Amino acid sequence: MTRLSRRHLLAALATAGCGSRELSPGEMSLWFTYGGRNRKVLLELVDRFHGAQSKVKVQPTFQGDYFEGLVKLRTGLFVGSTPTVTHVIGEVVPYLAEAGVLSPLSELEAEVKADIDPVLGQAGSFVGGDERPLYALPFNRSTPVAYYNKNAFQEAGLKPPTIWAEMREVARALTRRNGNRTERWGFECPIAWWFWIAMLGQAGGRVIEADGRVSLGGDAGVEALQHWQTMIHRDRSMKPPPGRDFNAWEATNSDFLAGRVAMIWTSTAFLSYLTDNASFELGVAPLPQQVRFSVPTGGTFFVMPAGVKGAEREAGLAFLRFMMSPASANHWATNTGYMPVSLTGRQRLEAQGFFDANPDFKVTLDQLAYAQAWPWAPELFRVQREAVQPRLEQAVLQQKDGAAMLAEARASLREAGIATGDAG
Amino acid sequence: MKPLRPSHPYLFVAPTVMVLGVFFIYPLLLAFYRSFFAWDLLTEPIYVGAAHYATLWSSGELIETLGRTLSYSLVVVAFASSLGLCFAVGLNREGTIYAFVRGAIFSAYIVSWVAVGLLWLWILDGDAGILAVALRKLGLPATAWLSDPDTALMALAGVTVWKITGYAMVIFLAGLQDVPRSLLEAAALDGAGPWARFRHVTWPLLRPTAAFVATTSLILSFQAFDIVRVMTQGGPVKATTIFVYAIYESVFMNLRVGRASALTVVFFVLLLGLTGLQLWAWRLGRRTGGETA
Repeated sequence: MTRLSRRHLLAALATAGCGSRELSPGEMSLWFTYGGRNRKVLLELVDRFHGAQSKVKVQPTFQGDYFEGLVKLRTGLFVGSTPTVTHVIGEVVPYLAEAGVLSPLSELEAEVKADIDPVLGQAGSFVGGDERPLYALPFNRSTPVAYYNKNAFQEAGLKPPTIWAEMREVARALTRRNGNRTERWGFECPIAWWFWIAMLGQAGGRVIEADGRVSLGGDAGVEALQHWQTMIHRDRSMKPPPGRDFNAWEATNSDFLAGRVAMIWTSTAFLSYLTDNASFELGVAPLPQQVRFSVPTGGTFFVMPAGVKGAEREAGLAFLRFMMSPASANHWATNTGYMPVSLTGRQRLEAQGFFDANPDFKVTLDQLAYAQAWPWAPELFRVQREAVQPRLEQAVLQQKDGAAMLAEARASLREAGIATGDAG
Repeated sequence: MKPLRPSHPYLFVAPTVMVLGVFFIYPLLLAFYRSFFAWDLLTEPIYVGAAHYATLWSSGELIETLGRTLSYSLVVVAFASSLGLCFAVGLNREGTIYAFVRGAIFSAYIVSWVAVGLLWLWILDGDAGILAVALRKLGLPATAWLSDPDTALMALAGVTVWKITGYAMVIFLAGLQDVPRSLLEAAALDGAGPWARFRHVTWPLLRPTAAFVATTSLILSFQAFDIVRVMTQGGPVKATTIFVYAIYESVFMNLRVGRASALTVVFFVLLLGLTGLQLWAWRLGRRTGGETA
């Protein structure tokens, strides 16, 4: 079978699998990867878009979780059967941009870019200098935040910690044991890259230096690992959740809601979900500092695959314009817990007294002052998935030396042709 | 039998050949071809020769993955086969209760892997799971089996044994039907006790069945994926990254199609070897144990 015919075969399969079909004029496809409540809110916004105009019809299709959606996008790109618009996690944007598979959204640059929060929109964060075209628009953007069980904290006469040393004390004080069984853990968070990056930043480091060399934070990266090691093995006050990726996040939420843990770190995206489902009074607090406050950002960006042209492109741009409007951005943020990305929208929320009425949202918004944009290097994705994540688990769960593990991670990156260096 | 036209036999096998060709042989050849390229599905593939095979070997990934897969498989085969045999021998008798117990044991086999995985996630929870609670009540130690790199793989093997023992039992029960009652009665008249009857009459006749059960559960355990995906996602650390999951992770999580293809080729060769072993064991069983199973 020739390459061309194989592409056709795969295109047919991809089309069948992804549920897209030939688009009529004025139609556009949207591949999305939200489940549950977030999916409902997104579809509400699509309905609002249909209500606000009649020229463009959106066909939204659910594509599984972030990684499943990404795999389908890559397969679609290979066979030339892509959606008009989809959304991908921030870490892969530079990878996709470098591969030349994203379409610049120049038409929206003038009207939308100035209204986007610069950190959430990753303004000017491509590593290596040159100003790039606008490839991605932030939509569901989040930061990690601490959720705590107010009842448990009040009973123990404690306040949410603001520095690491307090965090250890608080977690120890809230851990309740019965024989060798832990009835309640003080703290839980997934042993995941995102939270390690948060602590690395709090300890004063950064994962990729300004010149593009990957340092993994130097001593700060090691200190972050040691903090987890101490809480898990010495204090026995932190529970590492079972599973990986989304499963570990879900396990963390479940333990917290069931009262098996007094404080967790997870995404602001779960604010509405946890508020709705907690049988105790929910508290929200910023993450503590070691030498400074610092949080990474998470979530996804809207992108338009290269090759989307003509009327379909116009339809896609109209939809993106609508989704980036202050009203849509606010509807999304206030109904989910994600950050409001529109600066005008945020001012409107403040003027309406939304943050006074919803102080938990205010906590997440205030923490945004300490959020660090990702250094957008094409290698970021590989640094995360292959070099760091498996070694985080090794260091923390098997009590391996953190410095040795990170040195090993840097060596594996060098073998893959990625420049590494000391923290500076 | 002579076909009417020379082309007829080929026409008859054509549908099967086409299905096998499109869904098995062509993808396999493609994987073999792709294993010589570095490719992320986005950019043009780069020819790297046998570099993926060399990396798999030199990084220790191949040996480690194989080691984990083999230890998982050995536990699954040994326990599922021996427990299946014990249940079959113990429950091979008339009566509603026995029929119910046989049905109950087999029922685990027909439940989907995903449901089994979710169920055991709850059971194996180190704090609130019923296994941990029961063990603590008995004064025995309990741990978070799935969160500990030292125990996670064996926990998955245990769940797999729980699920497929019913299958082994049913195959052994079928094998037991073929053991002539007259032989057992003759042995009993000659003064053989229950163990001697099993050792010298039942077991020799069951050997082909045992070979079948062992090889099918070996292949089944080599192909395990769902349970890893649902319960541990290959972690903690890499403790449960067994072969099929390693291939999945390489291509779908790490965007390395070439390396995943190389792993697939190695896996194919391994399975080919196992199938050869199965055929050999089958023939050996038939030669030494009659025509049963």
